[in-house]
Amino acid sequence: MALLQISEPGQTTAPHQHKLAVGIDLGTTNSLVASLKSGLAETIADENGQHLLPSVVQFSGKNETGYQTRVGHQAQNNAAADPLNTISSVKRYMGRGLDDIKKHSIYEFVTEDTSVVPRIRTIAGDVSAVEVSAEILKTLKQRAIEALGDELTGVVITVPAYFDDAQRQATKDAARLAGLNVLRLINEPTAAAVAYGLDSGSEGIHVIYDLGGGTFDISILKLTKGVFEVLSTAGDSALGGDDLDHVLTDWILVEAGISDPDASLLRTILDMARKAKEVLSHKESTTLTITLANGENWQAELSLAQFEQLIRPLVRKTLTPCRRALRDADIEIDDIQDIVMVGGSTRVPLVRQMVAEFFAAEPLVSIDPDKVVAIGAARQADVLVGNKSDNDMLLLDVTPLSLGLETMGGLAEKVIHRNTTIPVARAQEFTTFKDGQTAMAIHVVQGERELISDCRSLARFELRGIPPMVAGAARIRVTFQIDADGLLSVSAREETSGVESNIQVKPSYGLTDGEIETMLKDSFSHAQDDIDVRKLREEQVEAKRVVEALLAALSEDGDNLLAAEEQAVIHQEINELIEIAKGSDQRAIKLKIEQVDKVSAEFAQRRMDASINLALAGQSVNALNHKKTQNNKGSDND
Amino acid sequence: MPHSIKTDNYFSLLGIPVSFAIDKQVLISNYHELQRSVHPDKFANASDQQRRLSVQKAAQINDALQTLKSPTQRSIYLLSLFGIELGDNNHSIDPVFLMEQMELRESLSQVNDKADPLTELDAIMAKVKLLIKRTINTLAEVFAAFLQDQPVQQKQDALLKKATSETLKMQFLNRLQEECLDKEEDLTA
Repeated sequence: MALLQISEPGQTTAPHQHKLAVGIDLGTTNSLVASLKSGLAETIADENGQHLLPSVVQFSGKNETGYQTRVGHQAQNNAAADPLNTISSVKRYMGRGLDDIKKHSIYEFVTEDTSVVPRIRTIAGDVSAVEVSAEILKTLKQRAIEALGDELTGVVITVPAYFDDAQRQATKDAARLAGLNVLRLINEPTAAAVAYGLDSGSEGIHVIYDLGGGTFDISILKLTKGVFEVLSTAGDSALGGDDLDHVLTDWILVEAGISDPDASLLRTILDMARKAKEVLSHKESTTLTITLANGENWQAELSLAQFEQLIRPLVRKTLTPCRRALRDADIEIDDIQDIVMVGGSTRVPLVRQMVAEFFAAEPLVSIDPDKVVAIGAARQADVLVGNKSDNDMLLLDVTPLSLGLETMGGLAEKVIHRNTTIPVARAQEFTTFKDGQTAMAIHVVQGERELISDCRSLARFELRGIPPMVAGAARIRVTFQIDADGLLSVSAREETSGVESNIQVKPSYGLTDGEIETMLKDSFSHAQDDIDVRKLREEQVEAKRVVEALLAALSEDGDNLLAAEEQAVIHQEINELIEIAKGSDQRAIKLKIEQVDKVSAEFAQRRMDASINLALAGQSVNALNHKKTQNNKGSDND
Repeated sequence: MPHSIKTDNYFSLLGIPVSFAIDKQVLISNYHELQRSVHPDKFANASDQQRRLSVQKAAQINDALQTLKSPTQRSIYLLSLFGIELGDNNHSIDPVFLMEQMELRESLSQVNDKADPLTELDAIMAKVKLLIKRTINTLAEVFAAFLQDQPVQQKQDALLKKATSETLKMQFLNRLQEECLDKEEDLTA
C-alpha cells in the first residue's frame, strides 16, 4: 500500500513529479488504453503485442472468492462455444432498461424486484452491464500498470457524445467498480479532435464523424488558439457497425434457409458477417460458408455491390444527425475545413463515400480510426492530472440532449437545451398547490420531443421537508446542474424560509449507491481486499489532495488574499489534517477534511474571483477604450 | 453616471461595455480567457471544494456568454437591467407586424403543397432573415440612444418602450425561424 507523502507546510511535494494518467476508449467492439510517452501519446499493447482488447467477457463459474472471468481475445474465441456466458457489445446495454435491449440479443436477461437495472444470467450468476464493463476496465488498468510500472493517479474514459445521463453514469460506476479514479469522462469525437488538432494545429471548423461498433456521433468543433469548442453534437446511441453485421446476418439466414438458429449458430454467423464486412473494405467480393445442422455446407458469394445495397439505408440514417448538427452549429458546409473519420466502421468504403459526398470534402484518415480516440483521451488525461501546468489546451463541450421536466398533461418543459456548453446550471421555481404540502415529486427527462412518453426518463426526485404553508406561498428553487462529465445533479431550496429540501434520487435506469457498494464487496478482485482498507485509502488520497492543493494555493496567494491570522488558522487545520491522515480512522479524516474545507472556503472563493479579475486585466481596458467606436460593429444574427 | 444599474452584471463579468452592439471577437476571446482560469478541467485533481466552486463559476460564465451572444437574449437581459421583464404580459406589439407574421406563417403551412417546397421554404426563410436583421439594427439604434452618456431624459421612457416591443418582435421571428428549420428538416429527411 502506497503511503501518504506529506511535505513540510509551505512546500508542495516534488513539484515536477510526473503523475501517471491514461486514456481509456471503452468501445462496443474493442477497447484500448493509451498513455503519453515522452510527449507522444501511444496505445499500450498486451504481452502478445496486441493493442485492441476485444470488449468481450466470458464468465466461467464461481469459486470461493467470486466469479472468474476471461477478457478479450480468449473470451472472443470461446464466444461461439459458450455463447450465453460470453458477453460482447455490452456497451449497448449500459444505462438501458430491459425494453431497450431485448432486441437482437442472444442473452437471457433477468430483472430483480430490488433493482431497475437488468442483469444477464450467466453460469457465474446474474451480472449487470456495469459489472461486465468493469471487467474490461480492470484488464486495461492491469495492462497499463504493468507497462508503466506504477499505480495510476487517474484516468480519462471516453463515451459517445450522444450518450445520455444514465449511460454516462453507468460508465462512471463501472470505473468505480474497477477501482479507477476518473478525472473526466470526455466525448469520443472530442477526444479524436484533440488527437488530430494538436498534431496539425489547424484553426477553424472541423467535423468529426464517428461510427463505432454500436454508436454513431457527429460533432462539429471550432478550434481557436488551443481552445476546442464543440459547436454542436448529434447522433444515435444505438447505431453502429454491429447493425451492419446484423443486416448481413439476417440476409444470410434467409439465403441459407435457416429459420430457427440456436445461440451458437447465430454467434457463428454474426462473426462471419463481421469478417465479411472487414474483407469487403478492401476486396470486391468474399465467400461465405456455413455448416448447417444437417451436416451439409451452405456456400455463397457476396459481392461488394450486394453488401452496399444491404447497408445503404443504415449509412443514410447517419446523415440525418449530420444535418441537425450543421443546423445547430449554425454553419454552412462551405465553412468546414475538414472531416475526421473515427471508429472502425468508417473503414467501410460506402461510409467514406457517402460522407465525402454529403460534406463535399475528402475525409481525413491519417490516424488509425481505431486508436485515435484513446490517443486523444491520453493527451487530455495528461493535461488534467497536472503534468503540463503551462498547457493552454481547453475543451469546451456541450450537452447532447435537452433536459426537461414533466409538467401537467404529460408534457416536457425544457430547462436546458441541447448543445448548451457545459458545465451549466439552471434554476427553476416551483410552488405547492395544496395548503400545508410538505413534499413534491419531480420527474426529469432527456430528449427533444414534446411528450414525456417520447423522452427518456432520467430520474424521479422527491423534495421533502418543505415548511407547511398555504398553497402557492412556498417558492421552491430547484437547480439542475450538468457538470463537465455531462452528469446531472439536483439541489433544491425553499426560498422564503431558506430550508434546504432533501432530495431522494430514483434513477430510472441506474444502479443505486447501495447496489454499487454490494458489488464492490462481492466482486472477485476486491473480495480479499478489505472494504474498510479501501475506504481509508480513498480518504487518505483525498486528504493528500486537499493538503497539496491548499499549500500550493497558500504559497501562491496566501500573502495577497489573506491576513496573517487567517493564514495561521488554515495552516493549523492543515497540520491537524496531516496528523489525522497518518492514522487509520477513516471517519475522523473525513470530518477533518470537511473542517479544512470550511475554514478555507472563503479563501477558495477569493482566489477564484482574483483569477477571474486577472484573466481580463488586459482585455477590459481595451474593451473600455473601444467603447465609443463599437456601436456600429458586431453584426449578428440569431 | 446617468444609468444606475448593478455593477455585477454579465457585461462586466465578460469585460465588455453595457451595450446592445457588441464586439463578438472581444466577447469570445474574453470568454476563453475566463474559462481558462476557472474551467473544471483546471481543477480535475483538486479538492472536492475547489471542484464544486469551479463548476459553479464556469457554469455562470457559460450562462453569461449564452445570454450576450444571442441578440434576443442580450436584449431581454439589457431590459431586465433596467427593470423591464418581458414575461409581464402588459407589453403591446405593432398590429402591422402581427399581420405580416400571420401571412408568413400561412405560407409556411402551405409549403408542402407547392411544386418545389424547398425553394418556397428558402424564400420564406430569406424574408424572416431580413426581418431579423432589420429588427437587430433597430434595437442597436434604440439602445444606443437610450444608453448614451447624456441621454435626453424626456425620451428615455419611449426608447425603453420601443426596445421592449422590438424585443418581442425578435422572439416572434426566432420562433418562426425555428419552425422553418423544423420544416426543412422534415423536407430533407
